[in-house]
Amino acid sequence: MEKILGKTQIDGWIAALSGYEILAPAVEDGIWAYKPVNGEVRLDHGNTTQPPKGLSFPQREVFFSFEQIKGEPPRLTQKLPDAPRRAVFGVRPCDGCGAVRMDKVFNDHVVDNYYQARRSNVAYVGLACNKPQGSNCFCLSVGGSPVSSEGMDVLMTDLGDRYFVAALTETGKALMAAGGKLFSEPAAADRKLLEQTHAEAVAHPQRAVNNLDTVPAKLKASFNSPLWEELARACIGCGVCTFLCPTCHCFDINDENTSASPLKGNRVRTWDNCQFPDFTMHTSGHNPRESLGSRLRQRVSHKFRYFPENFGMPQCTGCGRCITECSVGIDIVTVVNKVTEHAG
Amino acid sequence: MIAVQDIRDTARDLLAKNEVRAVIGYRRGTNGMFAEPVVITAAEQADQLVWDPTCFHNLSLYLVEDRKFLKHVKQNPDLPIAIVAKGCDARAIVVLMQEHYFERKNVYVIGVSCEGTGMLDERKLASRGIQASDAAFDGDDLVFATAQGEQRIPAREVMADRCLECRTPCPKEYDALLGEDKTGRELAEPFAALKRFEEQDAVERWKFWERQFDRCIRCFACRSVCPMCYCDECVVDSISFPVNAQTSAEEKANRVRWIERSAVRSENITYHMTRAIHLAGRCVDCNECERVCPVNIPLRLLNNKMEREAREQFGYEPGASVSVPALVASFLDSDPGKFIR
Repeated sequence: MEKILGKTQIDGWIAALSGYEILAPAVEDGIWAYKPVNGEVRLDHGNTTQPPKGLSFPQREVFFSFEQIKGEPPRLTQKLPDAPRRAVFGVRPCDGCGAVRMDKVFNDHVVDNYYQARRSNVAYVGLACNKPQGSNCFCLSVGGSPVSSEGMDVLMTDLGDRYFVAALTETGKALMAAGGKLFSEPAAADRKLLEQTHAEAVAHPQRAVNNLDTVPAKLKASFNSPLWEELARACIGCGVCTFLCPTCHCFDINDENTSASPLKGNRVRTWDNCQFPDFTMHTSGHNPRESLGSRLRQRVSHKFRYFPENFGMPQCTGCGRCITECSVGIDIVTVVNKVTEHAG
Repeated sequence: MIAVQDIRDTARDLLAKNEVRAVIGYRRGTNGMFAEPVVITAAEQADQLVWDPTCFHNLSLYLVEDRKFLKHVKQNPDLPIAIVAKGCDARAIVVLMQEHYFERKNVYVIGVSCEGTGMLDERKLASRGIQASDAAFDGDDLVFATAQGEQRIPAREVMADRCLECRTPCPKEYDALLGEDKTGRELAEPFAALKRFEEQDAVERWKFWERQFDRCIRCFACRSVCPMCYCDECVVDSISFPVNAQTSAEEKANRVRWIERSAVRSENITYHMTRAIHLAGRCVDCNECERVCPVNIPLRLLNNKMEREAREQFGYEPGASVSVPALVASFLDSDPGKFIR
């Protein structure tokens, strides 16, 4: 299904989507984030500081609660999320690709019920990038595209005073059908402009990871390279790069007690982070990834070697957040290119 | 104004004469126009060094990292490590020496005066929609190279607040000093943002902080970037004490988790309050914590509050002098508080 929607009609379309909580990018306290829509929607954002990943994979997920009363067997109560149906507007193609990769991990060979309960209720209404949103975009070099519809239910393209809107899934078709007569059939001129807009978007210069196909083998060959420590020399070991990543999915599981007697609490999954010193700490006190270089190698190798080996695609989608937000200039494009160049 | 060549010459000279084992400085990064920290160990690397309004980083963090590394590998080299230090960085170095983190002879301070300049605030610049490839001071203006050509903005409109309010832009503790030491720079009133904030009543202030801390993702960038956050064990880590081969299972099982991993309001507030209190009388207002926060939590308000408290209650300014005992490690016989005597 492909239609035209006047820009002034978008609020009308959103109002017609009953049964959905609508989220769209908004600025609050100087930060772009997906917020529940409250009034006018203007899709004039660059990209949000955090991807929409958390809607399916929240930073904190309660698995079950537990209670131990003396003399009785422990009581466990599962807490499957009762997530609202949501439609997220303005998702950029790199983050749509991110959702595809998250689905590979949590919704493919093994289905994670908690992830699935949320994910199945999220619809992505994407917005193509007519130009890169920042100086660190590199989607084209990692198999993506600024106009990619991967992972989207609907993809909109800005054609000036109107959007070209394409449904890609049944959910997307239903969302568009709800807008009814707000949409009109695209004219030949609209299609021509769409083609031209997409061609210009793809032609726009971006940063690039070099020779993606050869990267996994070169990373493998460079496992013991001294470059890792050198490139991580300034790393402060914080979690910015991974917590803002649209595809990082490592987690920790803890019991959070709410009462000591009787013993009560929740088993909780929280995001974890391969850059933190305690991520790989063994109970013996031994830490196999003690150095910052080994942790940088893990992050980069997961994106560009292990994930391609397991799923046939790079995990990185080229959004550039980990570069832009790194306070000390650790740059995944530079790191991959330097390590692979060095591998010959 | 400092010529970058002076920094390079100083570093090259120190390394060539084998007076230092490394120089911590800034080089051009690959993330747009921003400088990044670098550690050079050979004289021929000195030409990498840069100096511009994006040299935000408080490099004294890497003195701490260096000490931790040396302790880990059980080395104690004779040669000092050199560091390019702005006024704020030098204050941090002084605090670290007051706390005996390292000795004066362990470090060679290449002081660089920010007199007449200062650091850029990335967010102020971004809010104007400017994507620049270069930034340089020209008198009272900052001049940016952009795809649309040169853009000139009065510096104080896009400089970091901490630089505008800074009273010691020239290092007081150094082995070599580059640039001029002109005291009395007053670009903005100190604690200006704090004063504005405190005009609100307690209910409004609490609502404000709830919103700020709800947003925290606990990436710990604020802690990780802080040269004063050097504890071996941090209250927020899931291992709340250093574990080694001799740590018993019982000790591990009985560890106290002061702060859960969940990024929820109660835990986030406890984390930030703990950090703020631990920085009282130690924070030198380099404001790296606020700069690196990906979700823009105004941490400077907290740290400024503690800084002003130390100043008003005890006449103490963190990082002013190595010869003064650290505030939290000293007391006065004349202290009005009975509990301490």
